[in-house]
Amino acid sequence: MIPSLNVIFPKNLNEALSLLSDNSDSSKIIAGGTDIIPGLNQELNRFKEIKNLIDVNQIPELKGIIRSKEKISIGAAETFSDILQNDTVRELFPLLWKAASGVGSVQIRNRATIAGNFVNNAPCADSVPALLIYNATLEIESLSSKKEISLNEFLSAPYRTKLNRDEIVTKINIPFADKNFTGEFFKLGRRRAVAISRITLALLVDWRDSVINEIRIASGAVTPIGARFFELEKYCSGKKADDQFKKDLSRKLAEQIIKVTGLRWSSEYKLPVVQQVCYQMLKNIESQHEYGI
Amino acid sequence: MKMKVEFKLNGANVSVFAEPNRRLIDLLREEFELTGTKEGCGVGECGACTVLMNGRAVNSCLVLAVQAAGNEITTIEGIANGDLINPLQKNFLEFGAVQCGFCTPGMVLSASALLDKNPDPTEDEIKEAVAGNLCRCTGYKQIIEAVKETARLSRKN
Repeated sequence: MIPSLNVIFPKNLNEALSLLSDNSDSSKIIAGGTDIIPGLNQELNRFKEIKNLIDVNQIPELKGIIRSKEKISIGAAETFSDILQNDTVRELFPLLWKAASGVGSVQIRNRATIAGNFVNNAPCADSVPALLIYNATLEIESLSSKKEISLNEFLSAPYRTKLNRDEIVTKINIPFADKNFTGEFFKLGRRRAVAISRITLALLVDWRDSVINEIRIASGAVTPIGARFFELEKYCSGKKADDQFKKDLSRKLAEQIIKVTGLRWSSEYKLPVVQQVCYQMLKNIESQHEYGI
Repeated sequence: MKMKVEFKLNGANVSVFAEPNRRLIDLLREEFELTGTKEGCGVGECGACTVLMNGRAVNSCLVLAVQAAGNEITTIEGIANGDLINPLQKNFLEFGAVQCGFCTPGMVLSASALLDKNPDPTEDEIKEAVAGNLCRCTGYKQIIEAVKETARLSRKN
């Protein structure tokens, strides 16, 4: 059963920030509630300090998807269903669209918000690798400050982020790429729908005359939190993109993942899958690129 | 402390006092005795507690009762016209899409939300719409057929 608590419905951002400004452990933001409500109901440890839930669903500053010249800005409390209906996301950030389409079920996507996904920061958060690979940044406000940091910097450990108790993520900004990227997003769960991800991978590649100009690689679920592989990305740039390269990169990615997680009981299964999936994704990206899809 | 919650329930304006830690499913079942909304898993995986919130399917076990304030909630009791069942319900019966019946209210509401915005869904779109509704009698085929037939008939009329 959900422990006894208060729920407060601020009408605007300032009101919400004032409610958080005492910096206390006992106040927590609720948006879609798809993690926090079952978590409270199961009396999970990480929610046990909560005395006040600040519901942000009626705050206009956290809503809306706006396209400007150089980026798209997504309101933090936009649901996955809203994001899936946005043409700019579908056309220009197809990996984010695909990741969003695989979150939970229709019922979950109708409530769950994009910021909730990475503020909760479960290792399996599907939108995280997709946002990381597009170099998403977050606008964060408190009563006394306003800043913008990259999602990569924001995520610190499983279920932990750099968000202070008096702050709210207000917007997610995703810049339009100046490269000719082709990409793929892959999710492996134990079943095809309503599945918690076991492995997610996101790849963006800019090929130029069969040479890798730039590549971006991100994973989720198979690493403790969603992560980019910057070293590996650097290693790839300028390489000739032949079959040997695809095999090399797939092997190296699996090695990097082991480096982050250490050997686990599941490694014997997951690593060959990561390698095979990475190789297949590269082949798909190459053929999309060749046919100009 | 109880909070006043005013919302639209199955077309009627209602006002009720609810504890902030009460879930919408509990309010619907216990306060309004709308027991067509079922609790299966309680964590948002089975969809037995599906209701419509402003026309969209949501799991009522993942919504707090106080979050219903200002919104429009439709339960399975609200989609029939009094004693007259709606075409989706009729086709569920005709196609044998009901076995134990526990998933049926949620299944019908998910399908109803789909048909409201997409009167001519493909089979894949139907599957996607009900993917969050588990049927452990595994009668999915009949369910999908019932939804297809409802769409077909409504287009004909």
